[in-house]
Amino acid sequence: MTRLDAWWEERARRLARNAGRRTFLARMGTLLVGGTALPLLPVARAYGEGKKSARVPAPAEGFDGPAGDPKRCEYWRHCAIDGFACACCGGSATTCPPGTEVSPVTWVGTCRNPADGKDYLISYNDCCGKAFCGRCPCNRNEGERPDYHWYRNNDINWCAGARSQVYNCSLAVVIGQATEAQPEK
Amino acid sequence: MKKAVVLTLFVGWIAIASVSRAAESNAENYLLHCSGCHGADGRGVPGVTPSLHGIAELLERPGGRAYLGRVPGVAQAALDDRKLAALLNWVLTEFSQHSADPPYSGKEMHRLRKNPLRDTVSGRPTQASTKE
Repeated sequence: MTRLDAWWEERARRLARNAGRRTFLARMGTLLVGGTALPLLPVARAYGEGKKSARVPAPAEGFDGPAGDPKRCEYWRHCAIDGFACACCGGSATTCPPGTEVSPVTWVGTCRNPADGKDYLISYNDCCGKAFCGRCPCNRNEGERPDYHWYRNNDINWCAGARSQVYNCSLAVVIGQATEAQPEK
Repeated sequence: MKKAVVLTLFVGWIAIASVSRAAESNAENYLLHCSGCHGADGRGVPGVTPSLHGIAELLERPGGRAYLGRVPGVAQAALDDRKLAALLNWVLTEFSQHSADPPYSGKEMHRLRKNPLRDTVSGRPTQASTKE
């Protein structure tokens, strides 16, 4: 028993000699704060490992368009949105708010960018998993189709394909350039 | 002789430009009409929507060619027959590296989409199926 006590004493003294209290406090603090803040980072959970089933479409490069305010319904990418703009809900036009996941299925429309007069393909993925956001309710339906064309319809809760079907807000991701506005002439 | 060379080059350039433009148009139509559910990469969503990779295998099965033209997503797409045929041909080569032989035509799509599948699951052709 004495030998065990001596062993523990030796270990404790060595630890005290080698590890400063300040270093310990700093590392512990980083761990605690970092660990708490990690889930708050604005990243889509759906990007998680092995979750191929849910992803935000990769934004097309070079088609970002000019500055606009994604927190306004008048934002050019919102021409066919029906829901809460995610930029007003803790996310952005392309990222879901913390604690929500992006719907893996969605519908795609087109919007004309007034800055260059060109039409772009916009993916209106819903963010799911938290109660509806309630901020920036937008209801613009340019080029949207009736319910019977469900894959071009914005009244559908596209969270149907996510783990949680609770709708929070909608993204507006540019996925490419369109050669013509919708509906087709 | 010089004129003939120039003319040949010009015609070749027009042909290449046309093919390139058609491919762009099919890619755009895919993004607009199909990618929402099947994904930009055509891999679908496991348990939600099927992958388009490997669908050319269906062409080898009895009734498979008609099936691909009659599934609701194809038959009900808001595209005219010619564009729809071009898109289906493009999807087959893009995701399955396989061409329909002969390629789907607008006339064939017109016929197939007039008779859309009511039950895509039971109507799916199997290896053993002999249904046409």
